[in-house]
Amino acid sequence: MDNPLKVKIDSTADLLLLRPLDLFVRQLVQQLPAFANHPSDVDGIELAFNEAYTNVSRHAYKGSNNKGPISIQIVVHSDRIEIYLEDRGVRFDPANVKTPNLDVPGEGGLGVWFIRKFMDHAVYSSCEGKNVLLMTKKFPDA
Amino acid sequence: MEIEKKDGITIISTDERLDAVVAPKLKDTVKKIAEETSTKLIIDLEKTKFIDSSGCGALVASLRTLIKNQGDMKIARPSPQAQTLFQLTRLHRVFEIYEDMDQAIKSFS
Repeated sequence: MDNPLKVKIDSTADLLLLRPLDLFVRQLVQQLPAFANHPSDVDGIELAFNEAYTNVSRHAYKGSNNKGPISIQIVVHSDRIEIYLEDRGVRFDPANVKTPNLDVPGEGGLGVWFIRKFMDHAVYSSCEGKNVLLMTKKFPDA
Repeated sequence: MEIEKKDGITIISTDERLDAVVAPKLKDTVKKIAEETSTKLIIDLEKTKFIDSSGCGALVASLRTLIKNQGDMKIARPSPQAQTLFQLTRLHRVFEIYEDMDQAIKSFS
């Protein structure tokens, strides 16, 4: 029976916290036996979290001192890891972000694409002022 | 971030992470360096273990700034993580990338 490991961090969306939170996510994933021989998956999960957190920090709370609450929850199941990012800022649905034209290198627009590329699922929902991005990565050998 | 000049070539050595925190600083630094025409610049990624979309964007912006001012930019010693992102985004076709610093320097001669 699935008895998930859970950790939740209530924080402020601020780029000042990007690196410590990134490293927390990285170290947690690195310690999971399922990812022991899959360093590129560890890199990918860290990158996906980094991009999602950066998006909230940069865009969610514009016009209100650019800072606001963010809640990060990581749930480790027997076959996958789920990362939830919840904010109460401006709705930003990654599904509306166009796939970048890689033949014309741009200076932005790759973040959401990286999330899609490195995670198995990324689902965004918005309800009663609460925005939630759920990113899921299956264990490599599951 | 460290900056040095060697044989007329400016070398910027980026820190352990090239992310949204430092990307604006890299762009500003390159903008200042590029004020001098025909600047030869190497971005040395040897210490950089992690790069994100903001870091990739800053490198693209830096190259554009330099080309606009008749300069040129090469990238040296990217980590496996950076190489993966350059391949995925096809930036390996945009940047001149060298695994060895001497090769990067010689490429300007």
